[in-house]
Amino acid sequence: MSTPEVAAPPLLGRVGGPQITDEDRARSHDRARVHDARRRSKRWYLLWLLVGPGILAMLGENDGPSMIAYAADGAQYGLGFFVPFIPVLFAMAYVCQEMCMRVGAVTHRGYGELVLQRYGRVWGWFGAGDLTLTNLVTLVAEFVAIRVGLAYFHLGPGVAVALGLALVAFTLSGGRYWRWERIVLGLALFNGLFLVAAILVKPHVGAIAGSFDFSPFPGGSFNTLLLLLASTIGATVTPWMIFFQQSASADKGMTPRDVRHGRYDTAAGAVLAAIFGIGALIAGAALLAHDGSGIQGFAGAGFPEALQHVAGGAVGTVFALGLIEAGAVAILTISASTAYAAGECIGVSHSFNSSPRNAGVFYAANAGIALLAAVVILIPGAPLLSIALNANVLATVLLPVSLVFMVMLANDRGLMGAWANRRSTNAIGIAVIAFVGLCGAAYGIDSFLQAIHLVGS
Amino acid sequence: MNDPRQPPTSGAHQPPASGAGIQERDLQIQERFEDQLIMDLERDQFVAETSRPVPRAVLSARVTVGLWALRVFVVIVSLMVIYTFIDQLH
Repeated sequence: MSTPEVAAPPLLGRVGGPQITDEDRARSHDRARVHDARRRSKRWYLLWLLVGPGILAMLGENDGPSMIAYAADGAQYGLGFFVPFIPVLFAMAYVCQEMCMRVGAVTHRGYGELVLQRYGRVWGWFGAGDLTLTNLVTLVAEFVAIRVGLAYFHLGPGVAVALGLALVAFTLSGGRYWRWERIVLGLALFNGLFLVAAILVKPHVGAIAGSFDFSPFPGGSFNTLLLLLASTIGATVTPWMIFFQQSASADKGMTPRDVRHGRYDTAAGAVLAAIFGIGALIAGAALLAHDGSGIQGFAGAGFPEALQHVAGGAVGTVFALGLIEAGAVAILTISASTAYAAGECIGVSHSFNSSPRNAGVFYAANAGIALLAAVVILIPGAPLLSIALNANVLATVLLPVSLVFMVMLANDRGLMGAWANRRSTNAIGIAVIAFVGLCGAAYGIDSFLQAIHLVGS
Repeated sequence: MNDPRQPPTSGAHQPPASGAGIQERDLQIQERFEDQLIMDLERDQFVAETSRPVPRAVLSARVTVGLWALRVFVVIVSLMVIYTFIDQLH
């Protein structure tokens, strides 16, 4: 295996010590604040400094297609089954993401580079290829979500593209991880708009509480049920989250001493994402009682309008704003995961703490994939809604390979030492992989057999 | 946000000096600052350290076959999903 060398950033030579780069200096400033907070026992300040990657991964995954999928579940099937199912899925996501955070904090390396170096270039590039494919499809879906939200305010696709790309350019302009993280974190909290939408539809609290018995189970054909499972799983755990959280934890400068706070961060992200996801489900369920009002359009531009007709203008407005936010935050986090993967696999500098001059591939990949997705949504007649609906399914199908390597890395005692997985974590991790793999594969095979008319629908 | 440690500037709280003296003092200040940097980062966090590859793991034949089987399976299912997606467009 060839040795990936970091493209030479400006080094300050030191006798007997490590070579110090601008990236080290920026990270060291952030770490100085952490050490200071720890020394002075400022617990809440320390937590504030260390949260970020977990919340961003979880709320980033509450993206446009995911929120549309939750709302569609609510509109078609009501609250039963999905209200308890969403927290179960985010509990699964927590197990996976905690491993990513832990590996990143202990090894100070991203997922892509560890797979490539530890298991060989073939596996590293396969992972990066999966990621790029799913990220491109998902990013197209994010621009679609922004476009759907803006269409409610009578704004066209050009505005959606300009808004998404301007955000990417703005967040990349600082040359510091901390700045990027805080801006995206601030935006991500507006994911709470879906909770506001849920409150505005005035749901029956008893019905929500009563739905925790996982009933009624969704009806419909076997294939519809598989599609629901696959797309809902794809709305909670995806390959980009794995790449992103591990790389962002390393880029943030987290260490084994920060793992406890990393767990708080990941758990807070999972809880917030589950609450906001259920918010979208409850808002969507307002359409259930109206005999499918807007059902035909809810996958696309019709959803905020349908809610407006059924539950009032405020709900439609809040839901549309939520879709814009969900798409925008996901564009930032998914582009970042692509950039980390590109830098790690090519073996060049891959940090927000590096300047664009020193990390050209990282910044180019970050902006480039967002630009490519933006171009796709401007193509006249492109099947955007189909892409948006299938983005989560494709992510679910490709996820098991990423998860297997994640579990292998987290179990690697040569890398992790005492921080390697416990037996209980492995048992849950393997169960998650089996569940995700089965649902994705079952949907893929069943749909294919239907498409070639070997089985009836 | 407060940064508890800013690089000191030459001349701050220092008696006036000139020429080579200032240059030498600046170098000392810079060196102290770099020492502080080293204290705030763990040694294996430096770019110089993380750019060194970790050693390749030795996978057993069973694990390698398992990984390839999973990879081939995932590619086949992905192609099925993409075929279905294209078929649905028509």
